[in-house]
Amino acid sequence: MTVKWLMHFQPNQGTTLTSQVMAEACAVAESFPGVSRDGRWRSAMTFYRAVPRDQSLPAPSDLPRDLIGISLHDLPNEYLFVMRSQRLILRAHSSVQTVMDKLQSYKGRFFINFEGLQYKWGDFKLRIGKCLYNPNEALRGIVMEVEYLPLSSMDKSQRVMEEFYEIWREAVASKLLAGQFINTEVNFVEYGLGDSYTPQHTAVLYGMCVVQVIASSNKNQ
Amino acid sequence: MECVVQGIIETLHVEALEILLVGLCGAPKQRVRVHELCLKSGPNLVSSEVRLLCDLAKTTPSWTIRHVGGAMRGAGADQLSVLVRPIAESKASSTALRFFYGIGYKLDHEVLKTGFAFQFQNRGANLTVSVTSTNRMPRLHATDDAVPITPGIHLVEITAPAAPENYTEVASAIASFCEYLSPLLHLSKPGISTGIVPTAAEAAASLMSSGGGIKIL
Repeated sequence: MTVKWLMHFQPNQGTTLTSQVMAEACAVAESFPGVSRDGRWRSAMTFYRAVPRDQSLPAPSDLPRDLIGISLHDLPNEYLFVMRSQRLILRAHSSVQTVMDKLQSYKGRFFINFEGLQYKWGDFKLRIGKCLYNPNEALRGIVMEVEYLPLSSMDKSQRVMEEFYEIWREAVASKLLAGQFINTEVNFVEYGLGDSYTPQHTAVLYGMCVVQVIASSNKNQ
Repeated sequence: MECVVQGIIETLHVEALEILLVGLCGAPKQRVRVHELCLKSGPNLVSSEVRLLCDLAKTTPSWTIRHVGGAMRGAGADQLSVLVRPIAESKASSTALRFFYGIGYKLDHEVLKTGFAFQFQNRGANLTVSVTSTNRMPRLHATDDAVPITPGIHLVEITAPAAPENYTEVASAIASFCEYLSPLLHLSKPGISTGIVPTAAEAAASLMSSGGGIKIL
């Protein structure tokens, strides 16, 4: 799997995120010479909560409160779980969701979709999308996933990704948007992940990014 | 959903059973070495049980998460000679055990199943016949030091995936195949023991001397 970076739009303090930011970000992407639109994309995230045996009581504190499940747009037959507190990832066939339903020990409590437009620009794929609560589709953030197609090594792709990031930040800044795109930084070694990029890396990126998106959204409301 | 029957056979007759199965199935024998871990939810969680299966027969171990539901009940189910039950399975990464520990599950027991299996079709159903010894481990996860729980006895199991619209046909396919094995062993619903078949020794001797000679399905 080729390397991806994941960024989210951090609005300036006191400003409210609107769909206009998504439109402006797409306009920036479409202004790149030689870029072509490449369809739509959608990933879905579920936040799980433990179901206590005695449901009159709150969930015990020794059970994880940060279990998330992710269905990635480019892996429709797979499902990944991330527990940030334990730096743990499980990668499984999508039928694992059926197993979790049968166990009934954890249930999805709220859901977030990441969806938007995809672009091809030289060796890059850009996916710009909204981060939406499901089902009321309240906008919580704007994200951009950048994929560098020639490389699977994160070390080897670091420089070219940084150069793209700078190009992107400058292009966005020229649009005078009330905020900026922030890259999601993760210490993958803590999760037992190596230099060769995998879907587990993507799952961890989304797990970290969504925390920052929600925090940012709560702060500016 | 799956259909399943089980039976036991004395270990000394396993080789004869293998000869019979080679002739009947027309499929290659597969080695079985599965580390099965049964996990139960901790006292704080809704009660549930899940099994993790680690296939050690391959060069790279692979993991499966498996949930087995309760047996189908009712007049229709009672009339079947096979057990029908819902199952849910998923291939998973090697972090599966740590994952379930992390979400509050505890190891209840673990076994190592060793033996062989055949996968083939009978009357349109995909059957798996496995002949295994169930072994316990003297120390946690010590699969290399596993010893048989019932020395001298092997478990024979036939399973087949099924769906609500075809489980009776699948059950019939299993039942018809069981008849070929009846000189050596009787198979029935799990939990209903039929013991060792009296004709097993004679049938095994016949198979060993003839080297099979059974018409392939």
